[in-house]
Amino acid sequence: MRVEYINPFVEAAYGILKEVTRGEVKRGELYLKSTSMPVLGVAAIIGLAGDVEGRVLLDMTKDTAVKVASAMLDGMEVEPITQLNEMGKASITELANMITGQAVTKLHNLGFKFDLTPPAIFTGDNMEIADTGVEALIVPMELEQGKIEINVAIRERN
Amino acid sequence: MSSRAEAARQNRLRVPHRGGGNRQQNEELETIDYKMVTFSLGGKDYAVDILKVKEIAKFAGFTFVPNTPPYVAGVFNLRGEIISIIDLRIKFGLPVEQRPDREAECGLILRLNDMMIGVIVDSVDRVVGINSARIQPPHPIFGDINIKYISGAVEKNDRLYIILDVERILGRESEQTEAPRSERTEGRVGALAEAMAGSGPAPAGAKKVQPGAAGAAEIESGQDQYELDLSFIKEALPSYAQFYPSAINDHWLRARYDQWRRERAAANREAQFASPDEAHEFLKPFYSQDTGRFWCPELIELFRAVLPERLRNTVTVWNPGAGKGYESYSLACVLKKSYPDSTLKIWASDNDLLSISTAPNLVFRKEDLPDFYHDFIVAGTNRHSFAGMIKDSIFFEYHDITHPNAVPEMDIIVARDVLSYLRAEQQASVLQEFYDKLLEHGLLILGDNETGLDEARWQRVDGARITAFRKR
Amino acid sequence: MRTKQDFPSINERSVSGVKEDGSPYRVLVVDDSMFVTKQISQILTSEGFEIVATAGNGLEGVERYKELYPNIDVVTMDITMPQMDGVTALEKIIDFDKEACVVMISALGKQDLVKKSLLIGAKNYIVKPLDRKKVLERILMSLQQ
Repeated sequence: MRVEYINPFVEAAYGILKEVTRGEVKRGELYLKSTSMPVLGVAAIIGLAGDVEGRVLLDMTKDTAVKVASAMLDGMEVEPITQLNEMGKASITELANMITGQAVTKLHNLGFKFDLTPPAIFTGDNMEIADTGVEALIVPMELEQGKIEINVAIRERN
Repeated sequence: MSSRAEAARQNRLRVPHRGGGNRQQNEELETIDYKMVTFSLGGKDYAVDILKVKEIAKFAGFTFVPNTPPYVAGVFNLRGEIISIIDLRIKFGLPVEQRPDREAECGLILRLNDMMIGVIVDSVDRVVGINSARIQPPHPIFGDINIKYISGAVEKNDRLYIILDVERILGRESEQTEAPRSERTEGRVGALAEAMAGSGPAPAGAKKVQPGAAGAAEIESGQDQYELDLSFIKEALPSYAQFYPSAINDHWLRARYDQWRRERAAANREAQFASPDEAHEFLKPFYSQDTGRFWCPELIELFRAVLPERLRNTVTVWNPGAGKGYESYSLACVLKKSYPDSTLKIWASDNDLLSISTAPNLVFRKEDLPDFYHDFIVAGTNRHSFAGMIKDSIFFEYHDITHPNAVPEMDIIVARDVLSYLRAEQQASVLQEFYDKLLEHGLLILGDNETGLDEARWQRVDGARITAFRKR
Repeated sequence: MRTKQDFPSINERSVSGVKEDGSPYRVLVVDDSMFVTKQISQILTSEGFEIVATAGNGLEGVERYKELYPNIDVVTMDITMPQMDGVTALEKIIDFDKEACVVMISALGKQDLVKKSLLIGAKNYIVKPLDRKKVLERILMSLQQ
């Protein structure tokens, strides 16, 4: 992945997570991964298009997803969530949307033209993401609610 | 490139990530603190501590000694020193494969205190490095031999090695039950040895030592010591320096090893590495010219000499192991100079995030750069940087070359000192990918000391003073 | 996602979502996210606005606008949506009603997208993450234009 793409995603993820959870966020060490990977339980995915092709995936356990969604919904007049219901899923999807949207905006200011596709969310036990032939940058974030991995795969259209 | 090695080192320090497939990583994470020579006995894998092994030997024409236990095969003249030879298979009651007459037996010469003893085994395998913490205590199910001779067992590369207790096998004090007989044996062997060492005739009953046979064994065992040390070094380089010996660097490695042996002998030191520092010392002459800095005018000329006269309108270049980007910028300038009318696209990558992150914004002082580059740089507030036409031609990527490589077909691949820092099977698959991605007659530049490619597929560029191949 | 004090009840503050004649401003929220729809609705209703309809994509948004017209005062419009994106929907609404008050709300803040939306006729552009103050300020500003 181009070096210039990395910081916008890291900064956006850090900033948005800090803002929506209103708690401490710690960035883990970045690394690369290319093998298929087990999903922790909840995966929100957003496609990237434009000069590039790729996707951003937020991966976390169901427990973390419920806690993060609760933090996002705190103060709004909705039933507190104890499991990942429709509103919970919508919250996590929106989280992915905000992070990716902000990163793409930052990249745009650097001269890189990216477009987004609407997000999707997958939940389930023993899921595995197998996009072979793709190398992903993993940005691990430690929250009070648990760990979220932002998994970014972008490649240039040649 | 050294940054690849640096990255490899850093990767190793990283906590393993979740998910499967980490077994290999875990094995690599451990430090090798125990080396053992492995061999087979009755179809099973055994090992002894390398510190107990003086050398690997072939025993041909040793002398039978009468009135000794059946496992004492005889005595052997090792460069003037007479040692007794024990057949471990007989000692342990294992089946003995009959060798054709006169064929040399495989064995090891073990060092036990001040004494040397030869042991015959089915075949000697190699040197295996392990972490001693992984040695499991002896257990009766491990082998076909008496548990008292086993000091432990260890699994490595899917093979279970039974580690033998050399003291117990050869030591007198621990062999209480056999003591009387053993003493007698030793006494006999001792007497015989004295007789043989002297100029007197061999005692009656002993076969005559075939002249020449012992001499041949002597040379062979010297050769074996050379190979043993080499195999030890080859084993240590990956764990100490993340350098992986292979056909690609074998030519350099052997030449360097010869030189290293001489240097070490002169300093009265063992050839084997005592620490990672020594492995790095060993590798110092490996690095290619101008590693980690801008190419000097001489290297630029050497590179230009292998470039084709014409290339396509768009010249594509792949530069893995780009580190901080010095090599990629050098390449961009040389190619811009050589093909001023072509569009240039360089894919430059490294798996060391810190190094490659600095590459797009590399700044420097004009006076630190040879004149050659001056057409391609612009002044900044404090420092100079490369002009847009150079910068914009390079895509710097954080990328691991062993992962899928999404690059188009290439005119040129420059991968100096990259392959040698990949595991052997990865070297092969990356090289295959280089082959697949290169256009017909495309140019592959490897490190100065990475010369061993398959000649059926790669043609070395005639007269080149850098390592340059053309795809056949 | 704001703290509790960001969502005071109507009684505690003067309400700004109400016209001079005492009737509330009528809002159409177009967003494919249930979370964002809820979030926007929450902020606006707390200030006296009335959410008259919601739509989950651009196409539906245009249809709703046409149905409700002229009984609608402001539209909040997401950009990245399935079926029809928000910029296209904005175009269609403006085609139908040049005076329409549409406020774009998106996680994307790309300059050219903002410029394009404003040129087509959007009254304002809010970049996420949303906070109450930002949303109210921008929407009231748009209504007063």
